[in-house]
Amino acid sequence: MIKLVNIDLAYNGVAVFENFSLEIKAGAKAVILGKSGLGKSSLFSLILGFTTPNNGMVFFDGSPVDKKSVWGIRKKIAYVDQDVSIADGNVSSWLDFVFHLKANGFAGFDRKKVKDFLDFFELDVNVLGKDTSELSGGEKQRLAIIVSILLERKVFFLDEVTSSLDKHLKRKVINYFIERNDWTIVAISHDPGWLDNPHVRVFDLEVGKWRQ
Amino acid sequence: METVNISIFSLVLTFLLLAVPVFLSLIFNIGLIKPLVNSVARMSIQLILIGIFLKYLFLWNNTLVNLLWLLVMILVAVFSAVRGFSMKISKVLVPVFLSFSIATFIIILYLNIVVIRLDYVFDARYLVVLGGMLLGNSLRGNIVGIAAFYKNIKKDSKKFLCVLSLGASHYEALLPYLRESVQLALKPTLASMATMGIVALPGMMTGVILGGTSPEVAIKYQIMIMIAIVTSTIASVVLTILMTMRVCFTKYGMLKTEIFVGNSSS
Repeated sequence: MIKLVNIDLAYNGVAVFENFSLEIKAGAKAVILGKSGLGKSSLFSLILGFTTPNNGMVFFDGSPVDKKSVWGIRKKIAYVDQDVSIADGNVSSWLDFVFHLKANGFAGFDRKKVKDFLDFFELDVNVLGKDTSELSGGEKQRLAIIVSILLERKVFFLDEVTSSLDKHLKRKVINYFIERNDWTIVAISHDPGWLDNPHVRVFDLEVGKWRQ
Repeated sequence: METVNISIFSLVLTFLLLAVPVFLSLIFNIGLIKPLVNSVARMSIQLILIGIFLKYLFLWNNTLVNLLWLLVMILVAVFSAVRGFSMKISKVLVPVFLSFSIATFIIILYLNIVVIRLDYVFDARYLVVLGGMLLGNSLRGNIVGIAAFYKNIKKDSKKFLCVLSLGASHYEALLPYLRESVQLALKPTLASMATMGIVALPGMMTGVILGGTSPEVAIKYQIMIMIAIVTSTIASVVLTILMTMRVCFTKYGMLKTEIFVGNSSS
């Protein structure tokens, strides 16, 4: 599903990856672990084509990530970034924007579905009327998670998406993702809720190996 | 009605007015004298030269020379715009030049052929003067708009990437920024139009009225020129964005940092 082969990557002369390789199979539940600065987020950037490696190849679904394929690949990955970068303005208009993007093939967002998910992740329906800047970190994270699920994609890149949630909600989110067998999950986290889950494989970026 | 000419001696007397700012600058220690002298000197010399130049331009009124001068004006506008965008001229010269030329030229032709119905479309009086009005005014709008467009994308880089990952095409991801920057670019023009005639008498009208034309004619020209300015501003901002997009983004949709001044790393 996802394959990085002999990747060299450097920012401004500082090496992030040297001859780095990694493979994640379809349906896997992988957690990337490592100190900050080790390039956890760069992994996602490489696959999403936000960064290109100095050397090496990145594959998604068997085809190399290049300037042509990358636009299609981005549509197959539901990515929630660490800072939950959603636009300023009203939450409803943000959802409208996302679900009117041509590539997603929806004609606007399904209010009923959104409400069900808000319920499930214990968010009040009135967040829809709020401005994104009024939301707390945890509310934003849950909203972004809901959007990522509603996109109906099968691959999820989750960058520290449970960091602002309480224990109970963390478990709920983690289980929701892990229970879907056909979903490929790649999560960046140092939270025990992810790391100690029996269905999860942990890739330790510091040593460049899967944990046994 | 003849305009009262100002003799050279009288013109020198105008400079006496400068005693006021010089005096104020000395009292309050504003430090204005040097930049003031510099700017006044530049303004005077440039206008004297352009006065002489225009005199001959109008005298010859040769199509090729007129068009060539319009070209020079466009080029100067392009250079000063790109400096305002903080971009490297070598990277964006061609797209900005094309955008400015198209926006300016088509509108001038429309005015000269359809509105004013000149027998000689490339008449220096109209071509050069209208061109200068359009370029000068749309230049400000472009600097504000284009600089904001790229600055906002740079500032929002994470949000921008997020929108791309949500499945937006490059165009869809850039559209909100385009909207915002066009609105921003047009704001001063719209504001000045809305108060025109009451708060301020525009420079062109003052010039034309002092030049001996009746206010009725001056007003008609002013209305025409304002509409042309709004149109050329909006057209050139949109065109400049669309045309620079091709060179300012990678095929992956990422903003190239090396196009900006002071960013030599790739």
